[in-house]
Amino acid sequence: MADRDFYRILGVPRTASQDEIQRAYRKLARENHPDVNADPGAEDRFKDISEAYKVLSDPQTRHRYDAFGPDFRQVPEGVDPETWRRARAGAGTRSRAGAGAGQAGGARFGFGAGGEEVDLDELFGGLFGGRSAGGWGPVPGADQTAEIELTVQEAYHGGQRSMTIGSGSSQRRLEVTIPPGVVEGQRIRLGGQGGRGSDGAPAGDLFLVVRIRPDRTFRLEGRDIHVELRLAPWEAALGTSVAVPTPDGEAKVTVPAGTSSGKRLRLRGRGMPNPRGQPGDLYADARIVVPPHPTDAERELFERLAANSQFDPRRRH
Amino acid sequence: MTYALVRAPRLDLEEFAATAGLHPDLVRRLVVLGVLDATRDSAGRLWFARSQLAVVARIQRLRAGFALNYAATGLVIDLLDRIAVLEAAMRRQRLGG
Repeated sequence: MADRDFYRILGVPRTASQDEIQRAYRKLARENHPDVNADPGAEDRFKDISEAYKVLSDPQTRHRYDAFGPDFRQVPEGVDPETWRRARAGAGTRSRAGAGAGQAGGARFGFGAGGEEVDLDELFGGLFGGRSAGGWGPVPGADQTAEIELTVQEAYHGGQRSMTIGSGSSQRRLEVTIPPGVVEGQRIRLGGQGGRGSDGAPAGDLFLVVRIRPDRTFRLEGRDIHVELRLAPWEAALGTSVAVPTPDGEAKVTVPAGTSSGKRLRLRGRGMPNPRGQPGDLYADARIVVPPHPTDAERELFERLAANSQFDPRRRH
Repeated sequence: MTYALVRAPRLDLEEFAATAGLHPDLVRRLVVLGVLDATRDSAGRLWFARSQLAVVARIQRLRAGFALNYAATGLVIDLLDRIAVLEAAMRRQRLGG
């Protein structure tokens, strides 16, 4: 159920002056207009804000709203608020007014004598209602943008994903097909899932911007995937063959003898798939790790190595 | 003749309008449109920070330069401020590597 407290929607106290109400409305409308704010929830917030302003900006409807609450349009003229409240509490059933689309006439307001006069419907009404009093034809809906967070695995393999878009009354669930090999910042276009158009005009598009959740194992650089390849000193010195994780299962890497920390072993084409060209590469970044608590035997072997080796890693060649 | 050594941190409606060269009614209207920020004291009087003088100058330039109405300058200023924040973030990112 959408918030029907018009004062809370505009963020003003119930004692607010007409000036304060207009000021709050102006600011919120600028922030949430569907062409300014691509968040899928903004369009509904904008609608709520406009509805709240429409009611509160007219002292007469505001008075009736204060007396009867959001359902004031269903209360006939001349009803005593106390009688109404008692009758409603007794009836137990609560029927809600619609979104106000049936209300006749637009809200007109001017700014002092000789100032500009702005007609709300002329400005915004055509976007949402069927009452294009301003004489505009059907207006297509605005495009919207939302973020979608994927794990490296999901980005690599693609697939179906359901997500919730928007807030309040128009929250929707979407089934999204993610193509394999999407990368950070890529936009997935869902045609016709954006803002609604008026008078049967087409809806806008919804763009999902891909964010890839940081992963402990895989670091992405575009389509290239980096994994850490931890090696014992003797493996690095003598060479070995190691299994490294990839989003598509394990891959075998041949570590050549004489590999130092920082060396990158490339597995060509094992990075992110690319639907339109070359896949990325997978890099295994070598990192030499020494035993933190060597056994006596290990320590003795290292000592023998130290005594016999002429190697100085700090000498520049 | 005496001069104030310290400038008042905030201006009331008349002072602000006089400094900005506008009619107080226009200033009040800009507050209602939400393009100028002002605080209202318990007596209902409006008070303006000095920084709002720069805002009002920008409003006048935009209005004159692009034939915008005052409600539209509010939107333009909001967007310009948003761009400024984004550009600053991009510069920081570029400097940080």
